Amino acid sequence: MGFFSYLRSSILSKIVMAITGAILVLYVIVHTAGNLLIYFGKDTLNSYSAFLHSLGPILWIIRVVLILSAILHIITSIKLKFENWGAKPTKYAVKKYLKAKFSSRTMIWTGLMVLCFVVYHLLHFTFRTTNPQHYYPEFYQPHNAVSSVILERFDVYRMVVLGFKNPLISLVYIVGVIIVGFHLDHAIQSMFQTLGYNQKHYFPTIQKCSTGLAIIIVICLISIPISILLGLVGGGI
Amino acid sequence: MKITLHIWRQKNSNDKGHFETYHLDNVIEDMSFLEMLDVLNEKLVAEGKEPVAFDHDCREGICGACSLTINGIPHGPEKNTTTCQLHMRKFKDGDEIWVEPFRARAFPVIKDLIVDRSAFDRIIQAGGFISVNTGQAPEANSILVPKQNADNAMDAAQCIGCGACVAACPNGAAMLFVAAKVSHFAYLPQGQPERKRRVLAMVEQMQKEGFGNCSNFYECGAACPKGISVRFIALMNRDYLKASYSEEKLEFAEKE
Repeated sequence: MGFFSYLRSSILSKIVMAITGAILVLYVIVHTAGNLLIYFGKDTLNSYSAFLHSLGPILWIIRVVLILSAILHIITSIKLKFENWGAKPTKYAVKKYLKAKFSSRTMIWTGLMVLCFVVYHLLHFTFRTTNPQHYYPEFYQPHNAVSSVILERFDVYRMVVLGFKNPLISLVYIVGVIIVGFHLDHAIQSMFQTLGYNQKHYFPTIQKCSTGLAIIIVICLISIPISILLGLVGGGI
Repeated sequence: MKITLHIWRQKNSNDKGHFETYHLDNVIEDMSFLEMLDVLNEKLVAEGKEPVAFDHDCREGICGACSLTINGIPHGPEKNTTTCQLHMRKFKDGDEIWVEPFRARAFPVIKDLIVDRSAFDRIIQAGGFISVNTGQAPEANSILVPKQNADNAMDAAQCIGCGACVAACPNGAAMLFVAAKVSHFAYLPQGQPERKRRVLAMVEQMQKEGFGNCSNFYECGAACPKGISVRFIALMNRDYLKASYSEEKLEFAEKE
């Protein structure tokens, strides 16, 4: 009985999809909220970034949980998808969908596109390999410092602004985030159904909230490159 | 009414199958869909051709024998209605209608529009029952059932096992059928002793039969002629998860 024996069960596989998905969705929500700090200016965003880096081992625990969740989510989804294709070998000549939305029918494709987007995003902002010229340190004086010591920290604000000033990079992010939104539209309510939380008095609300939350996340995230392109944020870096 | 039919014809399970087009000029609006096919078959027989094979039994919408995917929807466009209770007045004069069998790997085509749905019988044999001594019916009020539970059990028990859920599901999954059968016992006291063993055994058999997995498309519930809710799938998922970590699971794994 290895760890991956859950894959033999249809329902346990779905439950792994739901739990790993829930972890990733929670991360996306926190990440979105963190990103919005850019509207509070350079100092706030850079302090937040420095705070995250100061977490040390906790940051690594979060990273490991996220990476494991993503790996399990991907492996399980691909296994389920192949089985599902196999279970419907002949397609209908005429097929009319009654309830299945565009977002639910394209989960595997939006999922793979999200994976590509995340890889690019990590190369861009985390490993900083795609645009190393945007990487600057910031020298600052802490507000509560007793001495006039000058500290150095990573200038996230400048990196983000310089990155999004490039319309092509902004476009990739806007499209990527919209694809994430499609994925989440189906994903969030699906998680509740799979984990067994579906009663008639609240499930319609969960479905509406799923779409609503996906839209809110998309608007919050795409507002950042748009504001930077329009010069509303980061004008005087 | 004049109707153009594109009907799936397939000699046997090894045949590739193809669509054939038929024109009917004398369709009466009050005919059921199956009566319309009867008229077509009479015409085909008179012409010395092979009639179209299709499943039917009670023609009252309660047995689950009729099937057919009509214009891309199992049991046709009318909500909460089986094919036998679908009437030609729901179509317009001059309509083109595409008639296909229920499609899924677990439902192989036997001939034309008839598919083998015995996989459902084997799922029921695996656990869709309660073990009680037969004999005289016990006093009905000796085991009390709350109204809410009785209603839920009856909602699930409406399932006629027609297979429309599998036919509608893009994954060919039988989750709604199995969930309905698991749930109508799960809501009643008589179903409790075998509750965990039942869900494990029925889901196991469902997988062996080659049905797909649930992607929560909710097509099954929308296509179900008995309007069975996908919330029963949620109940089954919960029951299955609980059963997976129970003593019954060990017992079940040993037997397997």
